[in-house]
Amino acid sequence: MPRQDITFTVNRRTVSVTVDPAAPLLDVLRGPLGLTGAKQGCDYEGECGACTVLLDGQPVRACLTPAGKVAGREVLTVEGLAAADALYPLQAAFIAHGAVQCGFCTPAMLLSAKALLDRVPDPTPDQVIEALDGQLCRCTGYAKIVAAVQSAAATLRGEVAPAAPATAAPVIGGSALRVDSVAKVTGAAQYVEDMRVPGLLHVQVLRSPHHHARLLALDAAAARRVPGVVAVLAAEDIPGENGLGDYSEDEPLLAPVGATLRMVGAPIALVVAETPAAAAEGVAAIDVRYDILPHAFEVADALAPGAPHIAGDGNVLSAEQLQMGDLPAALAAAEVSLAREYRTAYLEHSALERETVLGYPDDAGRLTIIGGTHEPYYQQKYIAGALALPLEQIRVILPPTGGSFGGKQDPWPFVATALAVLRTGRPARLMFTRRESFAASPKRHPYVVHNRIAATRAGRLLALRAEIDANTGAYDSGGKYIPNYAIIASGGPYRWPAVDLSARTVYTNGPKAGQYRGYGTAQAAFATECLLDELAQALDMDPLALRRANALLDGETTWLGYSTGESLGFVEVLAAVEPHYRALLADAAAFNEAAGPVRRGVGLAGMWYRFGKSGSLRIEAHAELTRDGQFTIYCTAPDYGQGTNTAMAQMAAETLGVPRAHVAVVNADTGRAPDSGIQGASRATYFVGGAVVSAATNLRAVLLGIAAELLDAAPDTLMLQAGRVTSPTTHAEVTLAEVAAEFDRIGHARRVRGVFDLSDRFPAETRPTYLPLFVTGAHVAEVETDLRTGEVRVLRMIAAHDVGRVINRPDAEGQIEGAVLMGVGAALLEEVLPGHTTGLADYYLPTARSMPQIDVLLVEVAGRHGPFGVKGLGEAAMLPAVPAIINATSRAIGRRLRAIPATPERVLAAIRSDAA
Amino acid sequence: MTTYVTPASVEAALALLDEHRGRARIIAGGTDLLPDMRSGKRTPACLVDITGIPGLREIRVAAGHVEVGACVTFAELRDHPFIRQHIHALAEAAASVGVAAIQNAATWAGNLVQAMPAADGAIVALALEAEARIVDLSGETWQPVASLFAGPGRSTVDPTRQLITHIRFPRPAAAWGTAWQRAGRRPSLILPTINCAARLILAADGGIAAATIALGPVAATPFRAARAEAFLHAARPAPATWAEAARLAQEEAQPRSNPLRASRAYRSAIIPALVESALATAYGRATEKESPC
Ligand code: FES
Ligand code: FES
Repeated sequence: MPRQDITFTVNRRTVSVTVDPAAPLLDVLRGPLGLTGAKQGCDYEGECGACTVLLDGQPVRACLTPAGKVAGREVLTVEGLAAADALYPLQAAFIAHGAVQCGFCTPAMLLSAKALLDRVPDPTPDQVIEALDGQLCRCTGYAKIVAAVQSAAATLRGEVAPAAPATAAPVIGGSALRVDSVAKVTGAAQYVEDMRVPGLLHVQVLRSPHHHARLLALDAAAARRVPGVVAVLAAEDIPGENGLGDYSEDEPLLAPVGATLRMVGAPIALVVAETPAAAAEGVAAIDVRYDILPHAFEVADALAPGAPHIAGDGNVLSAEQLQMGDLPAALAAAEVSLAREYRTAYLEHSALERETVLGYPDDAGRLTIIGGTHEPYYQQKYIAGALALPLEQIRVILPPTGGSFGGKQDPWPFVATALAVLRTGRPARLMFTRRESFAASPKRHPYVVHNRIAATRAGRLLALRAEIDANTGAYDSGGKYIPNYAIIASGGPYRWPAVDLSARTVYTNGPKAGQYRGYGTAQAAFATECLLDELAQALDMDPLALRRANALLDGETTWLGYSTGESLGFVEVLAAVEPHYRALLADAAAFNEAAGPVRRGVGLAGMWYRFGKSGSLRIEAHAELTRDGQFTIYCTAPDYGQGTNTAMAQMAAETLGVPRAHVAVVNADTGRAPDSGIQGASRATYFVGGAVVSAATNLRAVLLGIAAELLDAAPDTLMLQAGRVTSPTTHAEVTLAEVAAEFDRIGHARRVRGVFDLSDRFPAETRPTYLPLFVTGAHVAEVETDLRTGEVRVLRMIAAHDVGRVINRPDAEGQIEGAVLMGVGAALLEEVLPGHTTGLADYYLPTARSMPQIDVLLVEVAGRHGPFGVKGLGEAAMLPAVPAIINATSRAIGRRLRAIPATPERVLAAIRSDAA
Repeated sequence: MTTYVTPASVEAALALLDEHRGRARIIAGGTDLLPDMRSGKRTPACLVDITGIPGLREIRVAAGHVEVGACVTFAELRDHPFIRQHIHALAEAAASVGVAAIQNAATWAGNLVQAMPAADGAIVALALEAEARIVDLSGETWQPVASLFAGPGRSTVDPTRQLITHIRFPRPAAAWGTAWQRAGRRPSLILPTINCAARLILAADGGIAAATIALGPVAATPFRAARAEAFLHAARPAPATWAEAARLAQEEAQPRSNPLRASRAYRSAIIPALVESALATAYGRATEKESPC
């Protein structure tokens, strides 16, 4: 290796390194200097900003800065921000404002903000946005970050005291300090790519370069001879089932010779080597022969006569239909009826952290696998199946994770890494490049929806018919149940006397589609909510009035044939947005009076989301009294940035009556925590939270019983507080450490179980559409459109959601703000074009400048069954944003848009079309 | 083996290039070069970093022209008080390159040598009728920036034996104004769908003495709309004039389709709006003050 000595200052310390001077500074910081706070979110191409550090006080991309350039200069990384004994005010403000979710973008945001505040002590919000622009954040929607920077600026100017987290007390509904934020603002949090393991091997993947091909031959002899290559693994090296279990029908882990490869990126072999370079050389040295087959990207092409056979029966993966009421009669009775086609695009989650998994043989002789996932116990099962190992031989741990949004549900990276560890007996890490993540990770299903709606002239809904084709791409990858979710979302929280809703998933040679925030619901809701807006326009009726007149009420029997089990707050949600909606309408009308080339429009959309439909209705968690008199919760509610660690601790603390700081959470570790099911369908707070509350309740009862013996008092007279139990009547007290010792003395386990069980409340039901848990929401968008170019800017979003009960206010708002910005991306910017899109340079994520002003309205219509009355939130917030924006844009231009993303090109074409 | 050297003078830089006989390459910001090296498109044995050479980091505002050193970053251009106040198109074009963290490293000169048809720095340089001072062992020449583009991504400046040390552009004696317009798939960190720079110089009688309109990406190299410019010459400033010039520019421009960015038809369709706004804005700025600078 060409090397040169380079001396520079980093975090006020002089360092000398001997490195390739053309190597990116990012590699020098993360490698020899061990400063892993600078992250890598793209393929060294300047597109993500996660690597940003300060060079002589100025933000630069460390991935585009050659090491040679920093000689004699000063570099500041996030590790250098805090003083020995205190956080830098920006760090404190980020925590206090809930500006940290997954934390992967946080170091870059902090440093960019610091450079700004050093120059401009009193910045306007626009200056803050400009300074943060181009540092991507996929979680927060940027709003809380901007607020945090402004608040820190005030502190630095000496105007206000440093931000203190509002409270560490167990107050549900307050603003609680996240349990993991300090590590994330200081750069101490170790994501999988940051972990240092001696003797680590690197895994790279040989992938098909063709859209559809048969694998004719594979010869790895030359690859095995590459110096540094330890193993080349192909289908025949898999000891168990060559697949991904029940996650994906007919998707091999590695394609065997003779099999068809159904997409670009389909995996063929793993190369495991001492260095990434050797692994790459090994991949290139494998001799592969393909027979290229015809391919189809669109559902219509895959279903056409003579279409290439991709998979399944006629390229159909699954289908479902729901018919209620008398649709022909309803259509016949209709005074108004509209039929429309809507289209959506392939979307990529683009979590800032790529798919990265680390594995090693642990001291107990198990395979330990560490990676971001929604379901450690499922991964354990998939690995066991492919490796033909017993479950207890595999331990899966969730590390700090840089976002998922459903993307990290794919078991492939876990199983592939486990195979590499098993076959080499050494630690190994698999880290997708951003390009690989785009090619090979599951996407959101593109839909083509044919909807027909029927109503009376007075605006009473009569019928909805929907025919939904979901493009599942090359593999099932969790797409099987999409039709079920699409149907439920399609009808929404409205009263339909008759429905005929059908959906199917179809194989194509596009990227495989799987879970993506809202799992198949957002696309269907988009079509229905746009069609409702078209109906309102056709009836010359106010769209909010139309929705209110047809809104389902709590307790009413729905068009699904059952009534909602959870409280339904849609009417309350509509009431919450109404004044804002009217005000924005007035604003847009006033603006448009100028009749200039820029026009404003206001749009509305509602939605419901059936949460919790994923896995068991009986969930378990444990609570433990520790020897020193504190508490530990054991559960599986994976936290990849959304804050479940904090929510679980809060709910336990509230139940026990102790400060949250006295509760630790052991979460998502199959070696230590019980299986609390899959983290999907926004179920964690409700289901796992319920189990945590149950465990804490049970522990509290046992604990007070034992303390009562010690204090010679009745248990129900005692008070459990921080570190002690007291008797208000006798003033006697005993410490929790003493109580713990008593547990041990009498042989009572200090760890007790709790169960949250809805299976008896919602009796055995065979209808696949059944699960009466719904949350609702409504968004209002105001947009500005340039009639000359078709460019659209979202100015305002009002986002109202019935959350049941707020557990942690900034986290709930942050989830919604992040989903709204993801909605801006889906509505206007984002699209994976098979055969064209490669990565972040051509997949346009919203940057800070795309952020509208977002007003979140948390509507609390208390739930009936969940802990403290909560309901599921995380995914639902994604649903109404897109149709609200599209409806607003359609109103602004006086033409209907029916395909997303509404690119300037599509919008201009609509503007210049004749038909309204 | 890549070595990294930081010569203290232009002469030393040239000597290093000469020594490596085509295997050494000038680096300034490096924001384009590093990805090119990663992809294997460029494989220099030696990187000659010129950002430490005294005098190349300055912006000099002289009586008849403005001179910008080769190592001035886009951030420095963007924030320079005189440029902000008087050469609006340049300040705005500089602010359009990537995002702030890129502008802190990338240079105008590097952007020119990169020679992309829609390079923001190239488009604004054309409209300003800028020239570049190119030095090699045979001496130095000032060449119009317009002559530096050989094709998409191909410059006539060879950074393995030459370097740009300065860029300069005239400050007309008469009233004049510039403007910048840019459309893209998102507000920032994006290549332009169309970018456009315009400069209007007014005659004493208030008519148009000279006009430049530069557009990208509408040809293999950064493009000047010559027919539209000719039409504006001696025309009366008026909305209809801008509209007609914009229509002519649209006719001359030959954009191409890119499935990830925009179709030819769309790019062509928005050219009139951008050119019209640029001309109207430039005119407004030219008339705002007696003589802007
Ligand atoms: S890693 Fe540097 S910008 Fe993405
Ligand atoms: S918190 Fe910004 S990317 Fe996750």
